[in-house]
Amino acid sequence: MARKKHSVVTAASTVGDKIFDFAVDFFLLIMLIIIVIPLWSTITLSFRPNAFIGSNLQGMFLAPWKWSMAAYNALLGNAGFIRAFGNSFKILVGGVATSLFLTIPLAYVLAIPTLPGRRYLTILIIVPYVFNVGLIPTYLLVTKLGLIDKIMAVFLPGAISTYNTLIMRSFFEGIPSELKESARIDGASEIRILLMIILPLSKAIIMTIGLFYGVGFWNDFFHAMLYLNSNKLQPLPILLRNILMASGMNEFVEVHAFGDAPIAAIKAASVFMSAIPMIIAYPFIQKYFTKGTLLGSVKG
Amino acid sequence: MSKHMSMLLVLVTVLALVAAPLFSQGVADKKASDGLTVIELWYGAAVTEAGPPPDDWVGFQIIKDKLNIDLRITALPSSEADQDVKVQAAAAANNLPDLFMVRRDVLARLVPQGLIASVDDLYAKMPIRTATHYDEVSRRNALFNGKSYGLSDPGAIIKNEGLLIRKDWLDNLGLAVPTTTDELFTVMRAFTFNDPDRNGKNDTYGYGSFEEIGNYEAWPGRRLEPIFGAFDADGTWDMTVANAGLSVFKDGFFDAMVYLKRMVDEGVMDPNWLSYKKDDFRAAWKQGRFGIMREQNAAFAAESNYAPFDQNFPQGEWIVIDPPKGPKGHASIGPYTANFRIYAISAKAEKEGKKDKIAELLEWMASDEGYFLLGWGVEGVNYTFDKHGVPVADGVPNPEYSFTGAKGQVVTQLRNMVFYNGDLELYARYPTYTTAVSKKEMSALDVMREMQTKDWTAAVGSDTLPTPNADLKRFYEQSLSEFITGKRVLNRANWNAWLDEFRKLGGQAWNDAGVAFAKENNLLN
Repeated sequence: MARKKHSVVTAASTVGDKIFDFAVDFFLLIMLIIIVIPLWSTITLSFRPNAFIGSNLQGMFLAPWKWSMAAYNALLGNAGFIRAFGNSFKILVGGVATSLFLTIPLAYVLAIPTLPGRRYLTILIIVPYVFNVGLIPTYLLVTKLGLIDKIMAVFLPGAISTYNTLIMRSFFEGIPSELKESARIDGASEIRILLMIILPLSKAIIMTIGLFYGVGFWNDFFHAMLYLNSNKLQPLPILLRNILMASGMNEFVEVHAFGDAPIAAIKAASVFMSAIPMIIAYPFIQKYFTKGTLLGSVKG
Repeated sequence: MSKHMSMLLVLVTVLALVAAPLFSQGVADKKASDGLTVIELWYGAAVTEAGPPPDDWVGFQIIKDKLNIDLRITALPSSEADQDVKVQAAAAANNLPDLFMVRRDVLARLVPQGLIASVDDLYAKMPIRTATHYDEVSRRNALFNGKSYGLSDPGAIIKNEGLLIRKDWLDNLGLAVPTTTDELFTVMRAFTFNDPDRNGKNDTYGYGSFEEIGNYEAWPGRRLEPIFGAFDADGTWDMTVANAGLSVFKDGFFDAMVYLKRMVDEGVMDPNWLSYKKDDFRAAWKQGRFGIMREQNAAFAAESNYAPFDQNFPQGEWIVIDPPKGPKGHASIGPYTANFRIYAISAKAEKEGKKDKIAELLEWMASDEGYFLLGWGVEGVNYTFDKHGVPVADGVPNPEYSFTGAKGQVVTQLRNMVFYNGDLELYARYPTYTTAVSKKEMSALDVMREMQTKDWTAAVGSDTLPTPNADLKRFYEQSLSEFITGKRVLNRANWNAWLDEFRKLGGQAWNDAGVAFAKENNLLN
């Protein structure tokens, strides 16, 4: 049976509408170009053979068949890079797990309207968000907790983001209270309600907040620089920074830390490779991400 | 719903299991080593991107066996700003390592807090190291209230930059090497407008530069110091007794600005100079974009650095020239200062009785065994000796493990703690080689020695003088740049008015503080 077409009734487009649409499209096209050029430049630079480094337009239009894999081979053959990648992955997984484990119950509790002292608790959470305690007190706390030179030091101090907690709280507040009430009538405890009722309905916000946390932990240079001393614990952003600071030459000897691959290509390849996990993750999380960022934004 | 719930619980469990080992990470590393003195060292890596020495590095074992020291090393971050943050945060928590590299500015803040041990008594305990590393100037470098709080090891080689000119372009145009600022301008014009490379295109410029600014080489920075030197206005500070103060207040500075503006207005300066970064600048000269520049010896003449130029211009030739003389006969490549890497000992380490052990460690590093091991690695694995007794990368079984190779560099990461710019290091650093395409014989060492014979301005200690606050620095740099780009009209009246404004905004106070500091520390010539 042929599927019946739905007829859509729309108002006729005026010239003004068309101009507006064109302006929007043009603006988006410009934005796309602005975003794509540096990305393309970085990608092609990472594949560029030595002879093209420093050439006109830096070989941005270099045909793919002339690309060189030297930079990627050098990076993937470098034990330090692989270890740093692994450390970043540990921080990512540990950080996201810990953050969600702590943020979800906190947000849920704050979303219970009848919670005694809810207002004061919220203020207590917001105050350090507005008035940051600063670097030294945080460092002292991390030291006293014995976390210096432990990977946990990178993600534990920032495991609960007030901003993310408030977003999640708003989402939880938007879940119909009738669901929770019916569960209570059936004898469910608050923990059971959270686990059996709320969480299954909250995939979108959990994925979204998890992504927020994940991107933050993956890119975190500062805390790793501050708290991790052992070289074998250092994550990718630290190595990336060191690579980006390298000039391919120092005053003592000519250096070839990554073999004969040009340092400019190594820099670009390391930037690109460090972005790959996030590039892979985004398409899978995108549907939740869009939904999650919108949910809770309209309350009726 | 239950299916989703189960999946979620499984996911959380898996994540928690993965996260669990993180709580114990690093604990094993901190176990006390029986009978050994643990010394924690934060060092400045020789090649930051190459990674640390491996856990099984032979040096750790030798240090354990011979010195009874369990050495635990941490590479400081690659940028000085990050190094400062890390050191200061650790200091605030009284958690400084036993021995650590530190910048003088930061050290000056830590000493009054009682966090740093004096090292005066250590010099006598390290006779070999003291003889090669610490002269009077270096001991004075970290002197606070009459006591030395830092071991100032020799840093970068001084006077290792020079003014270079394309000799093949001069020959093509039938021009002589310029010796004065007037002649220099004539050559720059010819390089810009007379097709010096004979490629039929108007694609060259006279002078190439970029903004490379430091606290003793303020705007427009190091690469243009030969121009300012011709007007006796090079360097942030005039370090002479007669004229001590900021160079910007000198008449010659205005004259140099006028000259620089002419270079820009007449188009003889590569117009990208305000946007170039170091890598862009270096790529540009290798592409034949300009014919006069100030460059560092190894950045110019080391084999891999010269190779792209050699490939692009086999007939090309750069030569080191004297800085041009200005109207009053002044000439200088720029200011030079003494460079040091300061290693400090924490007061905590002193209280724990580790100071003598640290001296023992540093003295061993200066011994032949330590010097070669930390400087070049293991003989036969990371280096061999050439017929002159100089360590070379050639002849090792696996070139990847040579001290310049991808896997060999990690074992020489501590070399900055043992090198003192001795002849052996210089020969090893800058071997003579034959270029691949033009078959020229090149030596970055010969180039450096020639550069060192040119006129320079003594400004030892000028890098330790007070720095302006961020707002004043921004005003200073931005205003000078605006004079050159034309946003401000560069004439005497406007210049004097700007100087008055600069003085009022804190320039005078900066000048006075600098002069007082220089006098107090006997830095004036």
